[in-house]
Amino acid sequence: MSSNDMSMSQASSTAREQGASAGTATIDATGKTLLDVRGISKSFGGLRAVDDCSFTVTRGTVTGLIGPNGAGKSTAANLITGFIRVDSGNIHFDGKDIAHLPVHQISRRGLIRTFQITRELEHMTVTENLLAAPYDRLNESFWLGMLGLPVVRKQENANLQRALKLLQDFDLYHLRDEYAGNLSGGQRRLLELARVVMTNPKLLLLDEPFAGINPVLASRLSSYIEQLCQEQGITFLIIEHNLAMVERLCSTVVVMALGKRIAEGTMAQLRDNPAVVDAYLGEG
Amino acid sequence: MYYLLTLAVFGAIYGTLAIGLNIHWGYTGILDFMYIAFVAVGGYVTALLMLPPSQPAFQEFYVLGLNWPFIPAIIVGGLASSLLAFIMGLLSLNRLRSDYFAIVTVAASLVLYTIAGNDTPLVNGWDGISGIPQPFQSVLNLDYNSYQIFFLGLCIVVLIITFLFSERLRRSPFGRSLRSVREDEMVAQGLGKNVFALRLKAFVIGAFFAGVGGSLLVIYVDAFNPSSWTTGETFFLWAALLLGGSANNWGAMLGALIVPVLFGEITRFLPTSLFPSPQIVDAFRYVAIGVLLILTVRFRPQGIIAERRFRVRKSKLKMLEPALAGASAGGGVHITDADFEGDPGTLPDRDAGAPRGEGPTI
Repeated sequence: MSSNDMSMSQASSTAREQGASAGTATIDATGKTLLDVRGISKSFGGLRAVDDCSFTVTRGTVTGLIGPNGAGKSTAANLITGFIRVDSGNIHFDGKDIAHLPVHQISRRGLIRTFQITRELEHMTVTENLLAAPYDRLNESFWLGMLGLPVVRKQENANLQRALKLLQDFDLYHLRDEYAGNLSGGQRRLLELARVVMTNPKLLLLDEPFAGINPVLASRLSSYIEQLCQEQGITFLIIEHNLAMVERLCSTVVVMALGKRIAEGTMAQLRDNPAVVDAYLGEG
Repeated sequence: MYYLLTLAVFGAIYGTLAIGLNIHWGYTGILDFMYIAFVAVGGYVTALLMLPPSQPAFQEFYVLGLNWPFIPAIIVGGLASSLLAFIMGLLSLNRLRSDYFAIVTVAASLVLYTIAGNDTPLVNGWDGISGIPQPFQSVLNLDYNSYQIFFLGLCIVVLIITFLFSERLRRSPFGRSLRSVREDEMVAQGLGKNVFALRLKAFVIGAFFAGVGGSLLVIYVDAFNPSSWTTGETFFLWAALLLGGSANNWGAMLGALIVPVLFGEITRFLPTSLFPSPQIVDAFRYVAIGVLLILTVRFRPQGIIAERRFRVRKSKLKMLEPALAGASAGGGVHITDADFEGDPGTLPDRDAGAPRGEGPTI
């Protein structure tokens, strides 16, 4: 298995497509798999937080990642987005191995995350939080910006228009000139989602997007997610404890326990899976 | 009158320096405690380029001495500071968290200080350098007083250029990226910003203005030795920036007027007869600035003039309104003129959010 992984990471994309059936789940030649996590491991001291974990995320779907506390979900999120380096294993995103890239290069490829505890650019306004989001090498270059070239101004105007539109969609328009640090918890969640959508991502990794927000807002947030998936074709990987929300949103759910992937399927299938029930209720 | 002129020159020079530090701390959040070393390096390099060759017979030792004219000298002086910042940044900005980086900068500053003092052949050691030719004087041939006014004008021109540059930087997308790094490094990385590269660029740019300001300072005081740039001087500038207002160039200039000029210079003229000993004024100057710094950070962390809030301009909204109005049906927000007006006074100001945020503390 591991030698197979090694060769696949080095092989060209055509070879990858041929050998793809060796992977865990629905890998096929048409590139339906957007994210392919293969045998990643990470230890902190003596604790194996993530232990030979593999799963895939299919393009255009909303995939859930659930598991009891301490299952290694957040660590897996940090490994996928590069905030923590993997000890071993491969992570393929959009056909490329990203396991050893720095965070900003992973982000630039369109794999964007939100944080379990929302993080804002607090002393910047809501609008600025959105304007700062999209990465654009030319627009952000020091020289072009200092010269104030028309190309920069044009791009800035387009970004501003898009940002204001998003703020309308997320009901934050009236707060556009407010400092992000002054927003309420729920508004911060919305702002964080708006900010990552602003980047035109391919895959959004949301770490507990429903934590600590009221049911009305949660319902609205899940509608946004469905809408973004269907209309803009953004793929989602959602780490969440709220199983009702997971059932509503996710077509596939991956279950982790003790750092390993123990099951995968729809919520209905997982409910009857003894391993899953055991992980949540057994052991104690 | 002549004394006021001196104060004005110092005000302009320290204003330039405070704006440079503002690019480091105010925009990018780099804890730079070696700022005065950038000032000194710029000053030394400019001076050494402008001076005639050293005359060991008169116990004067220094390198270079190329008789350069002022303008190329000051530019190379600024670039020399930038080069130092580049090397420092390359070595440690990538590897160290900001507080550890701060420790490294203090150490680097002290190392440079010791080298400049003890390696006499380099910059004439503790005796320092003097006799730097006055810029443009060979062309202008002004008398002493007129030349002072001319030099003030020169410093103000440099200050204005620095200010305009820094303001432009603040408004540019590049400046916004810098501020995103200041606010939250992880978020910035997660949005595709190369945090290290952005920090390094800001460090190099800010150091350039330190070097330029330092050049003017050295030329003006015309006697520069290592005791003029102790670590304490760095904290004078820090106090100026934090008191005036981090991330605001007007604030930085105001702080420069208050701290180094008002406290640093004017207190020299308190009648010494009021105090039991003349040294006490000197000592109390540091105490007063320390207290002022603590009070600022505690009660008004944003400084006297807070960072300017970015507001979507009315004209921009007007321009974008047609496109937005079409979309507003989904969002349920209808834009009206009342929304544009939106009384800014009702919005909580930065200080309202400050306790929750990190605020400009050190």
